[in-house]
Amino acid sequence: MISRNPIRDEIAIIGVGSTGFSRDAGERSSKSLACEASIAAIQDAGLEKGDIDGIVGPMEPGGAIPHQMASALGISEVTHQSSPMPVALFGLIDAMDAIFSGACDTVLLYYSYQRLPWNSRSAAKDPFRRHFQMGVIPVPEAPDPAAAYTQWASRYIHDYGATREDFGRVALNMRANALRNPLAVMKTPLTMEGYLQARMIRDPLCMLDMDVPVDGADAFVLTTTERAREITRNPVVIHATSLGVVDKNDEDQLPDLSRHGQHVVVDALRAKSDLWIEDCDVFFPYDGFSIITLGWIENFGWCKPGEAGRFMAEHWDEKAGSVLIDGRVPMNPHGGSLSEGATRGSGHLREAVTQLRGDAGKRQVANARTAIIGCGGFFFNSQGAILRRL
Amino acid sequence: MSEQIDDAALVERFPYAQIDHDTKHLYRGWLEKRLLINRCDECLRFHHPPKPVCPSCWSSSLTPTQVSGRGVVHLAMHLHQGAPAPDVDYSKSPHPVVAVELEEQEALRFSTTVIDCPLEDVKIGLAVELDWIDRFGAPFPVFRPRRDA
Ligand SMILES: [Zn+2]
Repeated sequence: MISRNPIRDEIAIIGVGSTGFSRDAGERSSKSLACEASIAAIQDAGLEKGDIDGIVGPMEPGGAIPHQMASALGISEVTHQSSPMPVALFGLIDAMDAIFSGACDTVLLYYSYQRLPWNSRSAAKDPFRRHFQMGVIPVPEAPDPAAAYTQWASRYIHDYGATREDFGRVALNMRANALRNPLAVMKTPLTMEGYLQARMIRDPLCMLDMDVPVDGADAFVLTTTERAREITRNPVVIHATSLGVVDKNDEDQLPDLSRHGQHVVVDALRAKSDLWIEDCDVFFPYDGFSIITLGWIENFGWCKPGEAGRFMAEHWDEKAGSVLIDGRVPMNPHGGSLSEGATRGSGHLREAVTQLRGDAGKRQVANARTAIIGCGGFFFNSQGAILRRL
Repeated sequence: MSEQIDDAALVERFPYAQIDHDTKHLYRGWLEKRLLINRCDECLRFHHPPKPVCPSCWSSSLTPTQVSGRGVVHLAMHLHQGAPAPDVDYSKSPHPVVAVELEEQEALRFSTTVIDCPLEDVKIGLAVELDWIDRFGAPFPVFRPRRDA
């Protein structure tokens, strides 16, 4: 496993911006949301448009492409642009690598989401979203990453005797945390009874095991740590990152739950990082589906395989209504994709930066110095990052 | 053996499938109600879905090989909603979708639905065998509980 990490702490995140998330942002394009978050991030960094010479924004249906963002924001000269696959750290890693290699100095990294006709009834009625295509017409049995998480949830339950309450704790944690986050879409409390009664979508997973489609955008500004020290007093640096994929990654062909992309990510991060879970002040396990969260908790080594439900119960803070590992480390304090909104991980990244800067207000983790993010799922988009405050 | 149809006609028969030169044999097999899984002529390993080379030994000598159709349910879910199909009515009953581990090789799986089985029995460990239904006017492979099990 690779341990070489010359980029360690060399790239900093110096600006964040977000529109916040809602079920309907009104009569606005995805590009408009991306512009709002991007301007906020550049201003937050104390920079101007002329300081940006790299633009990275993941591909999203109907979303803004980097060169369109240059033109919309009047960013006059750009020497690096890219549109990586969705889920957030593909973009982060491309942006930091571009800066480190000298492709550019300062990157605007934006993520913009809108509800899609195939995951939102209201979006299906929007004439401006009708042209979004999913490719070939789907059939119920089509191997689909979303459905495959439910398939593997069935295996997890079978192999470990997990209960619906184990999955429900993921949803409850995110909801309680979202209530403390003004950017989050979900505003009403959730009980275990409410979780157990929620509409089944793909049994064994119900509506509350799946992220909530939203309109909204996040944006970040990255530059070299050297330059960041001149601009800001509290740069957040990227300590280690990795992507992870194994050979048998077709959704239904994973040999089992004991070796997939998440394990590769964890092994690589561990080899590259000076910091590990005992140093972690705030933990960000991705939660596009609740089963993914259980996987990250176990695969980072917080507990053994099959024990994530019990682990959450043992580390449950009754007063907060959410997980506080060892009474100290929250899990997705912004509410995650299940309750802040389906940001494919940009919300996790934004909250990590916000916490490490000490800007998280009521939900601030005292003296947060290290954040660990496990983003993406099992098959083709597993990824991780360790961020720290200098 | 029925006469082979051309690529354009094949794509029209399976509007829901992403067919290319690596996967076309799979769907030509469906038209004859044969489930053909790629097998390497060199190392004899099966793989699925079809790849251009054998992932084990890199041989490009691959034979779409008819499998027995017998296997055991390895992953199972019941869709309460999902993509439409003429033979599926979510309002009447959830629609089961399974990944079946084929008896030919460990961790070699094929995903589809299960017919003629009470929903509560469609779960991990169920022994199944291949059958065919009509989907959009073309054969579609499904599983049913094994009659000899
Ligand atoms: Zn071979």
